Amino acid sequence: MTVPAQKPARKLSMKQRYTALTHDLDWTPTYVKEEEVFPFTTFEGIKVHDWSKWDDPFRLTVEAYNKYQAEKDRRLYAVLDGFAQSQGQLGLTEARYMNAMKIFLQGIPVHEYNAHRNFSYLARYANGPGARFAALCQSLDELRHAQTEIHTLSHYNKYFDGMHDWHKWTDRVWYLSVPKSFFEDAQTAGPFEWLIAIGFSFEYLLTNLLFVPFMSGAAFNGDLPTMTFGFSAQSDESRHMTLGLEAIKFMLEQDEDNLPIVQDWLDKWFWRGYRLISLVAGMMDYMLPKRVMSWKEAFELYFEEQMLNGLFKDLEYYGIRPPRHVDWAIGEKEILSHQVYWILYQYSHAAAFTTTIPNAEDQEWLEKAYPETWPIYKQVVWDKAQRVMDAGGRYFNPGLPQLCTVCQIPMGFTEPGDPLTQCQRQTVYEGERYDFCSDGCQWIFEREPTKYRQSWLPVHQIFQGNCGGPTLPDVAAWYGLQPGDGAEYLGSPDHQAWLEWHGQTTKEA
Amino acid sequence: MAVKAMYDYTWPSRSAAELYGDDQLVHVWWRGNPYFVSAQTFRFPKAMPFGALVNDVLKGFFTADPDFVPESLDTAAWKVDHEDLVPDLEASLEANGVGHKSLLEFSL
Repeated sequence: MTVPAQKPARKLSMKQRYTALTHDLDWTPTYVKEEEVFPFTTFEGIKVHDWSKWDDPFRLTVEAYNKYQAEKDRRLYAVLDGFAQSQGQLGLTEARYMNAMKIFLQGIPVHEYNAHRNFSYLARYANGPGARFAALCQSLDELRHAQTEIHTLSHYNKYFDGMHDWHKWTDRVWYLSVPKSFFEDAQTAGPFEWLIAIGFSFEYLLTNLLFVPFMSGAAFNGDLPTMTFGFSAQSDESRHMTLGLEAIKFMLEQDEDNLPIVQDWLDKWFWRGYRLISLVAGMMDYMLPKRVMSWKEAFELYFEEQMLNGLFKDLEYYGIRPPRHVDWAIGEKEILSHQVYWILYQYSHAAAFTTTIPNAEDQEWLEKAYPETWPIYKQVVWDKAQRVMDAGGRYFNPGLPQLCTVCQIPMGFTEPGDPLTQCQRQTVYEGERYDFCSDGCQWIFEREPTKYRQSWLPVHQIFQGNCGGPTLPDVAAWYGLQPGDGAEYLGSPDHQAWLEWHGQTTKEA
Repeated sequence: MAVKAMYDYTWPSRSAAELYGDDQLVHVWWRGNPYFVSAQTFRFPKAMPFGALVNDVLKGFFTADPDFVPESLDTAAWKVDHEDLVPDLEASLEANGVGHKSLLEFSL
C-alpha cells in the first residue's frame, strides 16, 4: 500500500463538490457506441456537437438540494398544520373562491407528476452530464410540487365538494382532457421537443401567466396554504425558467440547422400553451371573489411586456422571431375570459366545479376591466341567463359541444374582430373532417395530422359509448361526480355550508 | 408533415366514420347566437330525414334559449360545410350532403 504524497484537502468547496459529483462522474463509453447508450437524442434532427456546453442552472449537489428542499417543506407543512388547527377555511373570502382551487387540483398536480416522469427520462437519456443533472433536479422538483399541491389542498377536501376524485377526473372529465392532451402531446414527442414544450414554452414563456394569478389569487382570498405553496415553489420555478432558457440557447448555439426546428416547436407550443391557460383567464376574471388583476392586464404585463418586448428581443440574436399566431392571441385578450367562463357556465352541470352569474359587484369590476367587451356579453348572454334564473330555471346546455381536435376546448372562440361569431376551421385529411377553434390549432394539426387524429375527444368518446352510457347521469356516474360537485353555485352544498358556518342561512326559519 | 418518430408512425383516427356504424356525428351551429357557446355535436342516423332532424330534434333542443321560436327554423337559411344548402326535408341527411362530422349551419 502506498501512502499518497499529498493529503487531499479535507473539504471541497461547494463548486468543487458539484463538479466532482456531476461532471466528473461522466465518462465516454468504449464498449458500446454513444448512440446505443443515448438512443433518443438524434431522431428529431437536432444537431449537438458538444454536450459539455450545456450549462446546468441548478449547480447543486444532491445533498445540498435535499437540504434546501427539506427546509422549504418544513416551513410549508408548519403553515398547513396551523391553517388546519385554526379552521382557516372559515377565513376565505367566500366558498365560491374554492372553484379556482378545484380546477387547480384537478388539472395541475397530476401533470406535475407527468413532468417528473419525463424529466427523469431526460436525467437518464440526455448525453451530457450537465443536462442530465439539471433534469434530475427538475424531476425531483416536479415530484415535490405534485405532492405538496395535493397536501396543501387536501385540507379543503374535508369541507368542500369537487375535490374528492381529482385523480380519476383528470383521466375522464371533458375539460380536464385539455391539460391531459397538452402534457401527453409533449410526453410523446422527443426529448428536445419536450424541452421546448415544457421547459421553455410552459415554464418560461407562459409560467407567470399561469402561476402568478393562482398564487396571488390565493393571497387575496385568504388561502394561506396555497399562497405558501406558491412561495415554496417559486425558487424552483425560477430555476426551471433558467433551464428552459438554457435549453433553447443550447440548441440554437450548437448548430444553425437547429433554428428552423426550434422555431417550429416554439410556434406550436406557444399556441398549445396559450390555449391551455385560457382556463386561467376564465378563472381570474370570473371565479375569484377578490381580483388581483384582470386577464387582460396580466397578459399585457407578463406576456406582451416581459416576453414579446423582453425575451424575444434577446432571442432575435439567434434568428428567432415571435411565435406564429401571437397576433391572434393579442387580439383575444379583451374577450378570452368572457368566452371561457361562458363555456364553463353552461356545462358546469357536467363538471367538478360550480359557476354562477357574476353578481352586481363582479359586474361593476368587469365593466371597469373590460369597458369595450363586457357590455356585449352582458347583453347577449348574461342578461338572458339571468332571466332564466329569475323564472326559477338555470341555463345548462342540454347537449354536447363541438370540440377542437387539437386544444379539445369547446369551440366557443370567435373570429378575429368579431366577438359574436364562433370561429370554424376544418381540414379534411385522408377523407375525414377535423374541426378547429382557430388558425393556431388548425396549423398544429396540419403539421402532424397522424398524431392529432388520435385525440381522445370526450364528446366523441361519449357518442361511441365509451363513457358509461348515453345520458348525462350515466356519464356523470362514469366520471365519478357526486351531487354538489358541479352545477350552480348559489344554493349548492358548498354555498349553504358557507352561510351556515357564518351564522347566515338559506333555509327558512 | 410526418411525425418525427423512431418508427413508421401511423395510427388510425379515434373518431373515424366506421366507429359509429349506421350513424354519424353532425355539428349543428346556430350562427350568430353565442347563447349556445359553440356548435353542438349530435349522433344521428345517416338515413334520418332532414325534416325529422329539424322538427323532432332541433325545434326542441334550441328551446333552451328562451327567445327561440321553433317555427323560425322552417325559414332558416342552411349551409353544410360552408356551402349553401336548400334542404330536401324528405331526403336523408346523407342525401342532403351531410356527412360524418359535417358542419350544419343555420341562420335565423
